[in-house]
Amino acid sequence: MNKFIKFILKLTGIAALVYGALFAVFYYDLDGKFMYYIWEPLMIKRFDSMKRQDTTAMPYSMKEKVQ
Amino acid sequence: MGIGLKDIKAKYKELFVVEKSPEEKNRPRDIKKSLHDFWYGKPHEERRLGDLYVGNTGLYKHREWRGVKDTMYYFNMIWLYNYAHMVSDIVKYGDGPMGIVDFAKGIMRYRWMGQTYLTVMHWFDRGLEGVRDDALRASAWHYRAMVSESIRQIIRMFQSDKKLNGGKTPDKWNYNIAHNETVSGSIFYPFRDILEDIPLEMIPYFVSVHVNNHTVLNYIDAAQSIGLPADPCPMCQAEYGLFVLDDYPDYSPVMVTSNEACDGSVATSVLQDWFLNRPLYAMPQPMRYDDPLVQKHCQKEIEGCWRFIEEHFGIKFDWDQYVKYAQSFNKLTEFEWEKWDVAAKTDSYPITSVAQALYRIYYSQDGDRPIWHEIDDRVKRIMNKTVKNKIRTFPKTRHRAIAWSCAPLYYSHWCTWAYNCWGINCIINMDSLMFDQYLRTDTYEHALEDLGLYNEKAPMRAMAVGGHEHILSLFDYMERFNCDMVIMYDQLQCKGMQGIHGVFEDEFRKRDIHAIWVPHALPDKRTVSRAEIRGIINDYMTTVMREEPLDPTLLDFDDSNSW
Amino acid sequence: MKDLVHIFELEDLLQEANNPLVRQAKAEGRRALGYTCYFMPEVLLDLPGCFSVRLRAPRSGSPDMATYYMSNRTCMYGRCLLERALEGGLNFLDAEMATETCAVTCRFQEHLQLLDIIKNPDFFCEFTDVPFKKNDNSIDHYENQLQVHVLDKLKEHFGIDISDEALLKTIGEHNELCRLIREIGSYRKLDEPTITGWEFAIINLCSLVCPKYLIMDKLRDIADELKTRKSDVKKNYRCKVVLAGSEEDDPDFIKLIEECGALVVADRYCYGSLPGRDEIVVKEGETPLRAIARHYLETSQCPRFMEQHIMRERKQFLADTAKEYKADGIIISQMKFCEYWSYERTIDTIIIPRDFGYPVCSIEKEYVNNAVGQLRTRFQAFVESIELKKIQKEGSV
Repeated sequence: MNKFIKFILKLTGIAALVYGALFAVFYYDLDGKFMYYIWEPLMIKRFDSMKRQDTTAMPYSMKEKVQ
Repeated sequence: MGIGLKDIKAKYKELFVVEKSPEEKNRPRDIKKSLHDFWYGKPHEERRLGDLYVGNTGLYKHREWRGVKDTMYYFNMIWLYNYAHMVSDIVKYGDGPMGIVDFAKGIMRYRWMGQTYLTVMHWFDRGLEGVRDDALRASAWHYRAMVSESIRQIIRMFQSDKKLNGGKTPDKWNYNIAHNETVSGSIFYPFRDILEDIPLEMIPYFVSVHVNNHTVLNYIDAAQSIGLPADPCPMCQAEYGLFVLDDYPDYSPVMVTSNEACDGSVATSVLQDWFLNRPLYAMPQPMRYDDPLVQKHCQKEIEGCWRFIEEHFGIKFDWDQYVKYAQSFNKLTEFEWEKWDVAAKTDSYPITSVAQALYRIYYSQDGDRPIWHEIDDRVKRIMNKTVKNKIRTFPKTRHRAIAWSCAPLYYSHWCTWAYNCWGINCIINMDSLMFDQYLRTDTYEHALEDLGLYNEKAPMRAMAVGGHEHILSLFDYMERFNCDMVIMYDQLQCKGMQGIHGVFEDEFRKRDIHAIWVPHALPDKRTVSRAEIRGIINDYMTTVMREEPLDPTLLDFDDSNSW
Repeated sequence: MKDLVHIFELEDLLQEANNPLVRQAKAEGRRALGYTCYFMPEVLLDLPGCFSVRLRAPRSGSPDMATYYMSNRTCMYGRCLLERALEGGLNFLDAEMATETCAVTCRFQEHLQLLDIIKNPDFFCEFTDVPFKKNDNSIDHYENQLQVHVLDKLKEHFGIDISDEALLKTIGEHNELCRLIREIGSYRKLDEPTITGWEFAIINLCSLVCPKYLIMDKLRDIADELKTRKSDVKKNYRCKVVLAGSEEDDPDFIKLIEECGALVVADRYCYGSLPGRDEIVVKEGETPLRAIARHYLETSQCPRFMEQHIMRERKQFLADTAKEYKADGIIISQMKFCEYWSYERTIDTIIIPRDFGYPVCSIEKEYVNNAVGQLRTRFQAFVESIELKKIQKEGSV
């Protein structure tokens, strides 16, 4: 029983820590800062250097009439 | 050249430390007030929201402390809840955990996803700044619905996308109808049991640009890179810039387009058709839509679209499906009217203007979906409470404003800013008033008649075309919504609206109306920046209205690089 | 070439909207009916008792009053028309037969309704809804609109005879004019054309802005003279071009192109003769109004049409025109702020050279053409590039 309570307490403690950490992420806008300073620049680099098809080479052939 | 302690300290200060104002520094410590502020949040005039921003990024040194109750609500029921749902919705709509893989592939393939998806919570932040209590809750639910429905569409697009499947044709590709975002989802009700109708630009352009406007500039530049002049509507430019950059998902064998809302939309569909190079059905609506003579023509075009779908997919028009969705959608319309009524007649309307406008435009364009009902039920409960208890949801309201003409997309938190800084409470937007049409389902003829009218009253065109009386209905709506001020969105590249500029000036003078012209270029902040818009409002409020700001820290701040 | 008969007289008629022939027709008791767009069939406005005037604002300067009403970010054609109306220059109009076919001309016409600008007690402005497709549904709709918003209104306001007989007679007269204009224009197809683009633009424009019955004799004289007119011994142009694009009612712009060495041999723009001067064919069993509705929808090459095959046929039409008129290249000209043509010009500029092999010069211009120097440079460069290509081609052969 003692062990179970300890386990529960431990679990609660971990949950409280995670919750507290998440609150810190929320309150200090760490998610925004991560996205702005780390994630987005990486993505911009990726998309800027991505090879893209030349869409203007797309054919422009005649089409059938749609009634 | 290493990073020293001094640099770290400076960075820490820049990113996290909110400088106290001189008055705060000099004020003697008042524990009781501090505790009161901690528990209930600071009074509006003492919030100093502008001090929370990090440089020009729009990030927060720390998120706003709204008192224990509202901060914990925001943390638990908005921030945590929505982040969690941004994963669980992918699993739910993506037929299991493998949906996450499809989703991740899309994030890495498309700029409008990769740069945008994870910044969603900041979109919430911008739209909910300074908002408290019931208004915070009701508005946040609107955002939640839009995110959920976006995820549903995104996952469907990605799972059907040839580009994400190495050029192979996924089975779902054969069961999707792509259509312009300006074609209403209501058209496709008769086929919804078999086919998914997904607006082509709704997510890649419309939604993503609200969340993070950095991406759209690439598309506008791409549009101009192949020779388009800079003056056409930037929304149209961006919508076809997606194609120039090959940044659109290929998820459907056909395309349905329309002439809604303007010349630019028609012209855009010409270019899109070239890049899509697949069967297209053009379903134009008449311009002079008040004319009873035009209705038959409109109805026949809708029927033509249905025939096109039948032929291409080998399926049959299903009247029962139409009735089911139309009747269900009518419930949303009924609640919308209820919301308008509360907004017009009371001070207890619990939804921010931007939440109202975006939600309205999104769901009415998208058509009937379960999430809209779920959210309306939640919002209804909140609204019933505020009305019953006569709660003033925006207690610092000095002016009840109506916002007219096409709204600046990137500036999706301007309404909250205007309220926080000046007490300008934007009660209703022009685009919230479109699709004002009940869909009868008693007979096929009535249904078709109403569906035609519904689509004729689509966004922008409802007011901007078909006769000057539509755009000048501003003054009737102003009276109906009990407003004392007009925020006149001045879309610099909208020919239809620019073409009637002077008549509005005349009318404002004649009627002695306070109207603030807000110039903008929809998503292109390079043409008119957010700071310029705020500056114009500030100038009007100080020089004409001779008012003092509620929160002076919001008068002038740099958010030039924010999302 | 020696001066074409009547050409300076016709040029003078283009100096103002309310020109001497308009005044003469009004004095004879006919009603002047204004319109701006090809989608308002001029043939209906030329019924006995009235005459059509396609609106222009010649010799416009800075449209300041109109800019107050319509801002400086809209098409200058619409603004100049409004300015002219505000100045009183359109008071001769008895009605404006309006179409909501592009945003700015629509707004101009709405201002006529809103602001009580036209000082003529009989004046009214009536809008017709014009479809975006060429299918049967659209023709039905358009026919219905023309009946109610044009014919019925003319009868109601001015007692105009709108019977089928009257319509057939007017179609006959209209077709005669079209045949004459086409005959005159056909000399542009010659290896050595015997009429310039500038001359033709004046002739065709006059047929749009003057009462037709008052210029028919002049057109006949011109057609007769052209039968024997000889081209100059020494060629005074370096290449031949098609001019395509948005609203264009300024012969001096065509003169500018021709001064740069490019003879304009075909006019596929709003106010042009292709397809504006196609004859109306009344098929067997068809009412005249039906034939008119069908004709104007089927012949129009406006980028407003949205059907997939029509969008693509427009490119083919342009290439076919260039071939028929033996043009070396195509100038696509777009009125600044015209949304339809800004997109159409973009796609034409890529597709026409790529798929049809015709070089394209793509320009944006204002209604009041102040950027003459820049345009001259563009056209000269285009002419040189065509010549270079010719030399390269001959060299490779």
